[in-house]
Amino acid sequence: MSVNAWLKSHRPLAGAALKRTIGFGVGQGLLAIAQAWLLALILNAVIFEGAGLTEIGHLMAVLLGLFLVRGVTVWLGERSAFQAAALVRSGLRDQVFRHLQRLGPRYLANERSGALVEMLTKGIDDLEGYYARFLPAMTLTMILPVVILVVVFPADWVAGAVMLVTAPLIPLFMILIGSSAQSKNQRQWKELARMSSHFLDVIQGLTTLKLFGASRREADEVARISNAYRSSTMQVLRVAFLSSAVLEFFAAIGIAIIAVFVGFRLYGLVMPLPEWLMALPEITYLQGLFILMLAPEFYAPLRNMGIQYHARMAAAAAAEQMIRVLDTEPEARSAPDANATQATATEQAASGHTQLQAPRPFGLRFQDVHFSYEEGRDALCGMDFDVPAGARVALVGTSGAGKTTVINLLLGFLSPTSGRILIGEQALSDLDLEDWRSHLAWVPQQPRLFQGTIGDNIRLGRPDADIESVRAAARRARAAEFIEALPAGYENLVGERGAGLSGGQIQRIALARAFLRDAPLVILDEATANLDPESERLVQEGIEELAKGRTLLVVAHRLATVRRADRILVLESGRVAESGTHETLSASNGIYARMIAAYGQTAPGQADVWNPEQENDR
Amino acid sequence: MKELLRLWSLFRPYRGWMIAGTLIALLTLIANVALMALAGWFITAMAVAGVAGVAINYFAPAALIRLSAIVRTAGRYAERLVNHEATFRLIAELRVWFYRHLEPLAPARLQQYHSGDLLSRIRADIDALDNLYVRVLVPVAVAAISAVLFFVFLLLHDPLLALSGLAFLLIAGVALPVWSQGRGQAPGRRLAEDEAELRAAVIDGVQGMAELTIYGANERQSERVNVLGRRLIADQARLSSDHGVTQAAVGLSASLSLWVLLWLAIPMVHDGTLMPPQLAMLALFTLASFEAVAPLPQAFQLLGRTLAAARRIFAIVDTEPPVVEPTAPSPRPERFDIRFRGVGFSYPGAATPAVADIDLDVPQGTRAAVVGATGSGKSTLFNLLLRFWEPDAGAISIGGHSITTFRGDDLRSHIAVVSQQTYLFDTTIRENLQIAAPEATQEAIEAACRVAQIHDFISELPEGYGTWVGETGVRLSGGQARRIAVARALLKDAPILLLDEPTEGLDAETERSLMQALDRLMVGRTVLLITHRPAGLDWVDRVLVLDNGREVARGDSKVIPEATQGALLRDAAGAVA
Repeated sequence: MSVNAWLKSHRPLAGAALKRTIGFGVGQGLLAIAQAWLLALILNAVIFEGAGLTEIGHLMAVLLGLFLVRGVTVWLGERSAFQAAALVRSGLRDQVFRHLQRLGPRYLANERSGALVEMLTKGIDDLEGYYARFLPAMTLTMILPVVILVVVFPADWVAGAVMLVTAPLIPLFMILIGSSAQSKNQRQWKELARMSSHFLDVIQGLTTLKLFGASRREADEVARISNAYRSSTMQVLRVAFLSSAVLEFFAAIGIAIIAVFVGFRLYGLVMPLPEWLMALPEITYLQGLFILMLAPEFYAPLRNMGIQYHARMAAAAAAEQMIRVLDTEPEARSAPDANATQATATEQAASGHTQLQAPRPFGLRFQDVHFSYEEGRDALCGMDFDVPAGARVALVGTSGAGKTTVINLLLGFLSPTSGRILIGEQALSDLDLEDWRSHLAWVPQQPRLFQGTIGDNIRLGRPDADIESVRAAARRARAAEFIEALPAGYENLVGERGAGLSGGQIQRIALARAFLRDAPLVILDEATANLDPESERLVQEGIEELAKGRTLLVVAHRLATVRRADRILVLESGRVAESGTHETLSASNGIYARMIAAYGQTAPGQADVWNPEQENDR
Repeated sequence: MKELLRLWSLFRPYRGWMIAGTLIALLTLIANVALMALAGWFITAMAVAGVAGVAINYFAPAALIRLSAIVRTAGRYAERLVNHEATFRLIAELRVWFYRHLEPLAPARLQQYHSGDLLSRIRADIDALDNLYVRVLVPVAVAAISAVLFFVFLLLHDPLLALSGLAFLLIAGVALPVWSQGRGQAPGRRLAEDEAELRAAVIDGVQGMAELTIYGANERQSERVNVLGRRLIADQARLSSDHGVTQAAVGLSASLSLWVLLWLAIPMVHDGTLMPPQLAMLALFTLASFEAVAPLPQAFQLLGRTLAAARRIFAIVDTEPPVVEPTAPSPRPERFDIRFRGVGFSYPGAATPAVADIDLDVPQGTRAAVVGATGSGKSTLFNLLLRFWEPDAGAISIGGHSITTFRGDDLRSHIAVVSQQTYLFDTTIRENLQIAAPEATQEAIEAACRVAQIHDFISELPEGYGTWVGETGVRLSGGQARRIAVARALLKDAPILLLDEPTEGLDAETERSLMQALDRLMVGRTVLLITHRPAGLDWVDRVLVLDNGREVARGDSKVIPEATQGALLRDAAGAVA
């Protein structure tokens, strides 16, 4: 869909408010005609009929009434114009943001947050010009000049003809100039998105820049990018100013021609015109003045549309970004399946509608799952394993072995290229994703904290949890002590990435979040990294407690955390290379045994020689 | 008011532009008023002359009308160009100025701000300042001068007409702006704050989407975005409605001014004290003169937003950096021994000190480790050594020079850091590496990456070093990012190396290869490691064990297990109880 068609297609959202705006605009135009007529009557009466205040008092009174009505119309028109755009804007902001959520983290990995932020703030604001100004202006252009022509022609067809001939020049020039404006607007929008993304990146990485002494250098970059935005903005404005100057010029020419035709005829001057045109009709002062005062009103809607054309361009540039997002379909959840017998093969994301049937805790199974991020490079090639209900299973393997991919598949952020993932007896691709995720708790490698209090952050998955449950979860995650030591405790505000908290503390808040969630399947991705051995041991106890009656899937690098798992899956190159318990695996002469040996040799480093359990036993 | 004066002082370099812009705008306005007034006079005079059958010189007025039309059109174009060019130049400069004030505050003073809030300041708030220049300063100057000129012009005809004209101009140009400024203050302030919050909410929603999705919080996040967006629009609606009121009121003032003028002038025409063409001229003049004041009410309405933006900008600019930069040039140390003496430090608002009474010596070329549980104060030592914070007590020196004599950047140029969380910028791998050494050649970069054991991985990528890493490095795993950090540190080639849990969260094999890389990185450098894993530290020369910010043991790596056991277990017992 073209940008224009897209913008138009959202017109119904503006609804009645848009119609009202146009109505008030027409009203204002009609009042202007009436006002011009009254003024002409008054001046004519005073100048040519020697009238005094007593004779024209009633006209003055009507004029006063007109002024008041016109004022009220202006105000109402402004209000409804804003409302028309407001309805579209809040509707679209919501729509785009929700669509981003449907597209999910995988789509976002290729997007720049700063640009998305601009799209959802300034981009949405820029749409206002289209719905509040351009659309009404366009409709009024088709109505008001026609009305004025209808009034002018009977009074003086010469002036009417001048108007009729000059009017089309205005939109014509506007389009000529406007055609170059589109690309300039797009460039301006790109520069804005780039500026915002860059600033956000710099703000979030400022400490790193400082560590490398690059933050001062960065000032030059800030200057460069700001100037690029400035020059692209000026390019857009230059076109806008030029087009409005041209419009004004044509309007002025039109008015001047009319004034000359009127004035000279009033004076009775012989015009330097060919014979056949000499039969110009006579004109009275009343008609002449009336027409002269209407002339600016005739050109005003045309000029206004020219000016608002600029607003349309800005809206189009912003809309283009939104269309790009909205036109992206969520990734297909189940691609053609090698051994699929069911009809899920062509279904789209979130198309699974089935609720999870399996009673808690449930088991899960990967059946010959393949996945590749890009053509020809398989991240998973035939992943086959099962996790019995209520088991504690650990995934180990070098980075790149496929652990994170397995997790992302389970979380529903990715879907297999082929093969099936079964939850209980159901295929994951059949499940309603939202329902499925409500059965999950997950602690990622680098948890993020959100704006709000620490309590809110722990409550993320259970917003209605009472403070006692929050405290209990925090105690289990060994987070209670440091949280309660903070000035406002659970009410303490935290920033993103837990500004002010250490990595280990953020980790424990994220764990508390998972504990509070009370989900039947718990997925921990390096959840105990960043913890000192003692905290880790205590958190581990918390996890053991949590694991009761739940299925637990743990990705771990430090093998101590893996030791007590019911089953260890050793991944290598996208497959399960070995599986078993710590005892069986370390006894066999496989990868796991080598990994254990590797830890033993790691030097210099902080290897896992120091075993908290043994130390504790002493 | 204070903000206005400060903004004015920022605008001063552009005074020349502003005077030029004001003069052109004034000329344009006068041309426009002249055009209307002359046109009214002209056709009336022509009609009167036509009826009376007298001769009239119509060439001069006709030429003047044409001239006014041209001056008006060209003048408006020039005026807009000059004023906008000046404003946007100023805005671009202010962004750099703001950044220069923001930069010294990181990380210590910026912890409390969401990145979305800071983004809103450097982007939207700076942009909002243009209102003051384009819509307030220049138009007010133009309006003030032209109001005087108009008054004098009317005075030439009749004092009463002049007074009434001025009165209505004052209503539209002073009373209405004052009213709308008052009305705009609160919504303007809320707009600035809500815009910042909306940005933060979108950033949270986008960058934290994985967790929000899994915890079923997406709906709440979009509700939050929705609510903030609606709040924003509600305030804008209020402003827009007020704007409608003032717009209508300006129009009404102009109309009433015309009405009163007619009321006063018609008897004069009747008496013959005013010529008929002059009546038409004055009528159209009155209507046109309101163009001078028409933009003022909205400009002053937006002043609330502008001043809120200014306050938000000044709040950052006025924040004292946590460390004071020396004015003298930084020393050039010849040795790089690190020494902490009696160092103590508390974070603002914290009940207990983060570290107290720390003594530590790391002679050049040796390796030391600081061991302690999470929250024992290890990272604080790094923050102090890097001069992100200033110690409350004691002193830190490098090669015998107190670090307070170094400028922050000079000090940090001697130090390379590999930490557990590596920030990767949203650009290519190459540029992420070049942050450490902008001039580094491809060979140097590859060499560093080979040592860091990441070259093979990078060269297998379809676009190699030109691969876009994505925001906050979302396309690289933790281990890969860490190795890029090691490569950065290698490229930086600094004599002091700080390691903050460099192998945390890595699998055994990666850890081993990373340690090999670090081994080569550490050769000949002064190394300080902080870790909460007291195991396998036999490669360091000395160890300091911290607990709750205080030293509990020191010596070689053998002192660790018992010392930490004591400290950690006591800690843990407290936590359980």
